[in-house]
Amino acid sequence: MLQYVSLSIDGAVVRAPRGRSVLDAAIEYGICIPHLCHVPYLSDIGACRLCIVEHVANGRSRTTTSCTLTVQEGMVIRANSEKIRKLRRNLAELLVAQAPNSRAIQDIALRCGVKEVRYPFRNEDCVLCGRCVRVCTEVWKARAIGFVGRGKDRHVDYPFGVHPDFCKQCGNCMQLCPMTITPCDGPMKTGEERLCGKCESQLMLADQMLGSCVWCKLGEGFSCGRYA
Amino acid sequence: MPTLPLDRILDGRRSQPHQLIEVLQDVQERYGYVSEEAMRAAAQGLGVPLMEVYRVASFYKAFKLKPRGKNPLTVCMGTACHVRGARVLLEQAVGQLGVELGEVTPDGLFSIEHVNCVGACALGPIVRENGSYHHHMTPGKVRKLIEALRRQGTEEISHVQAQ
Amino acid sequence: MSRLNSPRELEHLRKRLREERQNITTTVMTCGGTGCQASRSRAVVDAMRHELSQQGLDGKVRLRVTGCHGFCEQGPIAVIEPGNVFYCHVAPDDAFEIVSQTVARGEVIERLLYTDPVSGEKARTESEIPFYRRQDRQLLSLNRQVDPCSIEDYIAAGGYSALAGVLDRVAPEEIIKEIKASGLRGRGGGGFPTGRKWTECREAPGDERYVICNADEGDPGAYMDRCVLEGNPHLVLEGMMIGAWAVGARKGYIYVRNEYPLAVKHSRIAVEQMRELGLLGDNILGTSFSFDVDIARGGGAFVCGESTALMASIEGKVGEPRPKDVHTVVDGLYHKPTVLNNVETWANVPAIIQKGSAWFASKGTKGSKGTKILALTGRIKNTGLVEVAMGTLIRTVVFDIGGGALNGKPVKAVQIGGPSGGCLPVSKFDLPVDFDVLYEAGSMVGSGGMVVMDEESCMVDVAKYFLAFLQDESCGKCVPCRLGIDRMLEIITDVTEGRGTLKQLDLVEELAETVSETALCGLGKTAANPVLSTLRHFRAEYEEHIRNKKCPAGVCKALITYSIDADKCNGCGVCLRGCVHQAVTGAKKEVHVIDARRCQKCGICRSECKFEAIQVA
Repeated sequence: MLQYVSLSIDGAVVRAPRGRSVLDAAIEYGICIPHLCHVPYLSDIGACRLCIVEHVANGRSRTTTSCTLTVQEGMVIRANSEKIRKLRRNLAELLVAQAPNSRAIQDIALRCGVKEVRYPFRNEDCVLCGRCVRVCTEVWKARAIGFVGRGKDRHVDYPFGVHPDFCKQCGNCMQLCPMTITPCDGPMKTGEERLCGKCESQLMLADQMLGSCVWCKLGEGFSCGRYA
Repeated sequence: MPTLPLDRILDGRRSQPHQLIEVLQDVQERYGYVSEEAMRAAAQGLGVPLMEVYRVASFYKAFKLKPRGKNPLTVCMGTACHVRGARVLLEQAVGQLGVELGEVTPDGLFSIEHVNCVGACALGPIVRENGSYHHHMTPGKVRKLIEALRRQGTEEISHVQAQ
Repeated sequence: MSRLNSPRELEHLRKRLREERQNITTTVMTCGGTGCQASRSRAVVDAMRHELSQQGLDGKVRLRVTGCHGFCEQGPIAVIEPGNVFYCHVAPDDAFEIVSQTVARGEVIERLLYTDPVSGEKARTESEIPFYRRQDRQLLSLNRQVDPCSIEDYIAAGGYSALAGVLDRVAPEEIIKEIKASGLRGRGGGGFPTGRKWTECREAPGDERYVICNADEGDPGAYMDRCVLEGNPHLVLEGMMIGAWAVGARKGYIYVRNEYPLAVKHSRIAVEQMRELGLLGDNILGTSFSFDVDIARGGGAFVCGESTALMASIEGKVGEPRPKDVHTVVDGLYHKPTVLNNVETWANVPAIIQKGSAWFASKGTKGSKGTKILALTGRIKNTGLVEVAMGTLIRTVVFDIGGGALNGKPVKAVQIGGPSGGCLPVSKFDLPVDFDVLYEAGSMVGSGGMVVMDEESCMVDVAKYFLAFLQDESCGKCVPCRLGIDRMLEIITDVTEGRGTLKQLDLVEELAETVSETALCGLGKTAANPVLSTLRHFRAEYEEHIRNKKCPAGVCKALITYSIDADKCNGCGVCLRGCVHQAVTGAKKEVHVIDARRCQKCGICRSECKFEAIQVA
């Protein structure tokens, strides 16, 4: 028998089973909280920080990731306050400045309200979201790829940099990767990177109903949990 | 059959995944670096997936994945050493030996590394070489140290050993 | 020595050891810490031992190799009892004189005494030396009394009596109450109330618990923990055991940084000796308390000073922090409730239990009780380890204890608290060493590292240094830390290379706010502090770099040029030979010239020139 708790997210009272994350509870109820590294059937690691929310308790608010926060009775969550939107926008700006050559990242940037990118663009082909590593480790249990190195040097690699024979060739890593689809206008050459912003029309409804899921094409782009 | 050093390092730790870092530490100490062979043996002996061993070995700076020079020179880059000019010592070493940080000289005698603090802060800038700590270093002293080490070849300088 | 089966047997042993020691009245204490070892203290010790034997005194004189005495700049240090004669800069060749004169006849050797650099006066004992006079060396003074590799020394000096007094005699709740009343706060940087931490752990559900000593001490410029652990490991262990009794733990770990081999060695020896005496293992001293300790080594990662990363490291995994929505006191090592405290925090526990919480709380300020060990380094005269009561003014530490500026260059700032802390200008030196006050001022006590800077330190360069350090040490998991620090470093680097704009300063402030709010762990959350504090207190220096493309301190390479002052140059050629970029030309005895195109401004020539002929503009 599942035990349920009630919590409030942006004023809406939501019921969720014990042990569920705030992010999962929100997605189920159609409350939009952008996320990147979260995939419904994989563990949550709180790496991208996009799903941050304000957890209000004892008169103080703590900013934390909703994917790692477990629901509790009477919890008060603010998922779309001005502070959270600003922080999320800045994080998305960092991501798109790092890897503009991905439709998913561009969509996230748009969804999080990025209007200008104030850093020089780079053209990296990995944002270290860890989806590939987790699906290989947790679902296929092959452990053919993993995170290697630390800090700036952190990257995804095979053991010793060589494709191992125990890779099951399932292709899941590529399917989940947000970098595999280039922006609609085609790949951006180095020096020509920019913020795409084309699908602005997707946001109009979302801006009017702040925090509501409108089944936007943006979510489709980065395989938002609502589409899973 | 004589046991290899690797076997001895794994003894008493087999099938204990949490011993991975201790094993790698011992490998690093014994061989001066952590080889692919050692990592495979650790994975097998401890029951840790190969990817995980590689991940741990690449995460911690203490584990070098490539052999070092016979005389690894470590320049401390901690804050106290930094304000006393540690940067210049690095320039001296790099300039004199003709290799970058983390590389080994073609003759295999030297490699240059940096560490973020050895805890001898009052005596900085510090250069560590083969277990000896040299204090209040200047570019001139670094030059003399490298020349002395080169003359001695593989002999260790009879300076104070830290261990 | 045989196993101790009761507190009474411990007391008997203590009595016996003290009686034995009474027969030998003269003791020579030499520092064998890592710092003095760099100054060849090992050779001094060997020479002393040799001389004592040569002069037939080795049965009558005790030669004790201790841990750090704190005054590292003056090492190697030797102290002779009776008389408490304090010798500094002792060389192996001095051993003969020391033994034949001071040890044998009680005569003082003037030239080995400490000389005050200003007044020229000589000091005979430690208490006469200004560096020591203003300190309150509750923990550090114990280093003199023990050889860290001798449990007998520790017991003879009164060790383990606090522990013996509580096991099965004082209820764990009473212990926690006492620690709470003392006001002890974590000494590793967090400043979290220790009593509260222990309470939360004790009340957490579960049977197994752990206590861990955090000896990772990653802050560059801080080495207090090294000295306490190297010099008096039993003190730390006793504190841990009292804590274990209080929270109900049966296993403990000391996690020592990989770069402290001596601390690892001494801890291991200490644990072995304790096991021999039955002070570790089952039914310690015949009580119901069973406890054991393992020493775990770090792998060279600053991030492993963070509690969840440290625990992951003990578990043999990568030191990547995990979100702390549930704290480690509830879900810690191997998912069990765990108390993680810093070396210095543990070291304070035995005295609090022995002398009472009121004694501890009588020192310090309202919010910060007791004493704190600081690592005073950088551009001042007296560098070393300093222990002062909380509430002591920064000014007192830097000038009265530290002796003021090095080489007459005025002090400009002090960086407190390591990479998580901030820089304070001289105008703020009337602030006390206090957790809350310094936090309000944009800095923090942190682990206690205090690096003094003068006008030759560029504050923008300092911010760059710390950002580069944190980038190197970041685990890289979360976006704000990995990308945020990278971009902040990019902007600060632009400023140091003359490409900075004022708008970028606003951007870096906004980015700093985002990183501190959203980062997963403490490393990321506090990463912006060096930038923010230098911007707050030294904005003019930033603007000088931006507006006028000048570095007032003469540090930022892109904004300075090296040249040779023709008036001072005598053509000795030292710079020419020293330059690794072949940028200096000149004939013997003629004025030398630097080719600006080849010059990389590394500074080698400047440090070699004895005539101060190299100018930086």
